[in-house]
Amino acid sequence: MLVHSRGARWAVWTVFAVLFLPLFALPLLVILGASLATHWSGVLPSGATVAHYRAATRGEALQALTTSLLTALGASLLALTVGTWAALAAAGLRKRYRSIMDALFVLPVAVPSVVVGLSVLVAFSQPPLLLNGTRWIVILAHTVLVTAFAHQSVSAAITRLDPAYEQAAASLGARPAHVLWRVRLPLLLPSLTAAAGLCFALSMGELSATMMLYPPDWTPLPVLVYAATDRGALFTGSAVAVVLMAATLLVLFAVSRVRTRASYR
Amino acid sequence: MGIRLDSVTVAYDGNVDTLALDSLDLTVEPGEVMALLGPSGSGKTTALRAVAGFVRPVSGRVLLGGRDVTDLPPYRRGIGMVVQSYALFPHLRVDENVAFGLRARKTARSEIRQRVAEALEMTGMAAYARRHPRELSGGQQQRVAIARALAIRPDVLLLDEPLSALDARLRSGMLAELARLHRELPDVSMLYVTHDQVEALTLADRIAVMDKARLQSCGTPRELYRSPADAFTASFVGGANLVPVTVGTGGVSFAGAELKVGTNGVAAGARATLCVRPHLVGLGQGPNQLAGVVREIQWRGATHRLYVEVDGHTVMADVRELKAPPVHGDPVTLHFMPDDAVLLPAEVSHG
Amino acid sequence: MAEAAERTRAVRGRSRPPGGSRTSNTAPRPFGALAWALPPIALLALFFLYPLALVVQQSFRPDSGGTSLRPYADVLASGAFRHALWTTVWLALASTAGCLLLGFLLALVIAFVPFPGAKGVARFIDVYLSFPSFLITLALLFLYGSTGIVGSFQFLTTPWGVLLAEVTYFTPFVMRPLLAAFSQLDTAQLEAACSLGARAPRIVRQVILPEALPALAAGGSLVLVLCLNEFGIVLFTGAKGVTTLPMLVYGKAILESDYPGACVVAVVNVLISVGLYALYRVVSRRAGA
Repeated sequence: MLVHSRGARWAVWTVFAVLFLPLFALPLLVILGASLATHWSGVLPSGATVAHYRAATRGEALQALTTSLLTALGASLLALTVGTWAALAAAGLRKRYRSIMDALFVLPVAVPSVVVGLSVLVAFSQPPLLLNGTRWIVILAHTVLVTAFAHQSVSAAITRLDPAYEQAAASLGARPAHVLWRVRLPLLLPSLTAAAGLCFALSMGELSATMMLYPPDWTPLPVLVYAATDRGALFTGSAVAVVLMAATLLVLFAVSRVRTRASYR
Repeated sequence: MGIRLDSVTVAYDGNVDTLALDSLDLTVEPGEVMALLGPSGSGKTTALRAVAGFVRPVSGRVLLGGRDVTDLPPYRRGIGMVVQSYALFPHLRVDENVAFGLRARKTARSEIRQRVAEALEMTGMAAYARRHPRELSGGQQQRVAIARALAIRPDVLLLDEPLSALDARLRSGMLAELARLHRELPDVSMLYVTHDQVEALTLADRIAVMDKARLQSCGTPRELYRSPADAFTASFVGGANLVPVTVGTGGVSFAGAELKVGTNGVAAGARATLCVRPHLVGLGQGPNQLAGVVREIQWRGATHRLYVEVDGHTVMADVRELKAPPVHGDPVTLHFMPDDAVLLPAEVSHG
Repeated sequence: MAEAAERTRAVRGRSRPPGGSRTSNTAPRPFGALAWALPPIALLALFFLYPLALVVQQSFRPDSGGTSLRPYADVLASGAFRHALWTTVWLALASTAGCLLLGFLLALVIAFVPFPGAKGVARFIDVYLSFPSFLITLALLFLYGSTGIVGSFQFLTTPWGVLLAEVTYFTPFVMRPLLAAFSQLDTAQLEAACSLGARAPRIVRQVILPEALPALAAGGSLVLVLCLNEFGIVLFTGAKGVTTLPMLVYGKAILESDYPGACVVAVVNVLISVGLYALYRVVSRRAGA
């Protein structure tokens, strides 16, 4: 469309490949390659093995995987509930209040995750809510961190929603609760699942706040990857990282299947 | 059930300087089809939305069947509404769409099934009950939207430009369908918003012409067409030649010519606007002659439209297809019968 | 009189612009709407705002007791802090600039010079966003680290390694909104510009760039904040040479157990990232984005 001559097009594509492949494709390939190797001193990894994966799918690592999945599931469901509620409530407010509320719920994006971790640590290491040392403090911090993203994507979807639908429903005699349950939420379902997927992925990869909060019996996968690399076990770390990516992708794939079934247009 | 708007004023953004609706008084009798006709931004849709309850008047009252509903939310008003975009729920099948209003009212299940079937039958959509809206054509979606509004058996049906999303051929078919529905449901009052005078003239028992947030005139199609009361109505309903004239005795003078028209007792010497429909203007010799120069000629198949400049004013004439039409710049003579002209108060704004 | 005032206010509340647009008027009445907004706000206040307030409070409470500005004086005076501050800010700004440039170029090719598989690349970008940032550093450790393939020179322990990792990881965050914006762009506009004799650079500058500005602004502001707050990438380099503010917070709190100091750095970090974010939004809104 933009470049018409054949030669120029090939030149553009070459530049694209030269930029894109080393920057984006290579890192993932490197991790994948390393996870299957024992040495990497030449151009290619050597000493093919699946031993890292055997280690990465049992014992400590398996427990970390369960921990991560449960944390991400809990955090994303909570965040989706609170974020959607906030977005729906904000949509019913006057413009001034709405922008205040939107700003409040965007704030956790702008606050560093490390600081969110620190603040949760400071606040809930003391009564009345003593959560430090339990798994709940990790789930809580993750929820706080991802709620902002859930709120943002749901409220963008609400803005795009044609008010003609809810007005048609109201003219047919549906009360606001009925309109919400039977019209607005079903119409928002594709966006809700997208937001849930986003929250889940963010929580699966969360490291900063987790590093400050995790109790010994609730170690999520990213912490395990860090622990492995920190003690120099880069190849094991890569295998755990691949497990992390695969688990995230599997869940995202399942969520997107739900989404395809829920999109009507 | 009748509809009454009692000096309803609507202001958006609480700004009283830009009224969307300026103290509208309008009564729709039970079983009557009232068309709200006007250009975009004339306030006709606002009036309909005030009846539906989606805009709240700053002042005035809305009454349905004699009951003041001004403070009632839309879902308590029991009206049926069809909008331009249809707003069919994309996640529900056709029958679920039609059943929506009944479910919202917690109607008994057996009753719902029967009434949905009835509404789909009435609109000819029974064969499509299990489909989703996205699998239907525009005309079919339109029918489902009407069936959905009728299923709750409203006493009042509001139609907001229901045909404007359809192409011309479908539109005339749907117009006939709507007329049939009205015959089958003689007790339902309809408020029909449109900018298309053909729809209004075809369907309505009475037409309310709106412009600039105000009601300009209201009457039967025949009244508005044959004897419009103001220049805006004359030009918007059916199109009209409007020229400034001076009233004399037993006629008016325009462009140096004395024209014989009924003056209805307007004092001699007063300024007035003369209104003649283009299809009532003839070419050639006759009573009430006007001489002018052809400025433009359009062939419309069955007719020719001439734009003739008479003393600086353009006069339109629709004549039967001409064998040898005049060309640009030809001098021509036009005429019209005295009782085909209407004399309006002097205010030439749309000429 | 009072009733009339009440009415006007109610009308203002359910306003819509004149003309054809049909905004919602079925929203619950203002009081009910406010009541519905309270539960999520209360949760946010309890689990986010209140802890944040405690951090601010603690930053004024030195270990020696009492309330004073001592922690601030101590931290602001330390060279490590000033160095970290500078590193954080310039790294974030440079990364954002790099991401915007690279993201714009790549998105441009995907959208307007499409090649077989361009759709797949766009989907790959989406997937990429769902991976944690430290994976990039992990990969770079193999490429450039001490056991590195490319070379064992200490590239990763310099800020340039972090810059490379941040540009790599955050560029997709710019590309996604850009691709969305490009897909909305009417190709008829490009064809019109082309038929009027405009060449590619001019079309990019005068047709595509103006349309892309809001997306660039949105993506840029997000990346700026995320870079200011990035922790995983820096942590994984394992380098003592590169310390950013989030690293400093972590180090002071967890490794040194110096909570007042950590809180001071946290407050500064929050102020900078919220401040820069707000500034960026204002500027980009002014620029017509």
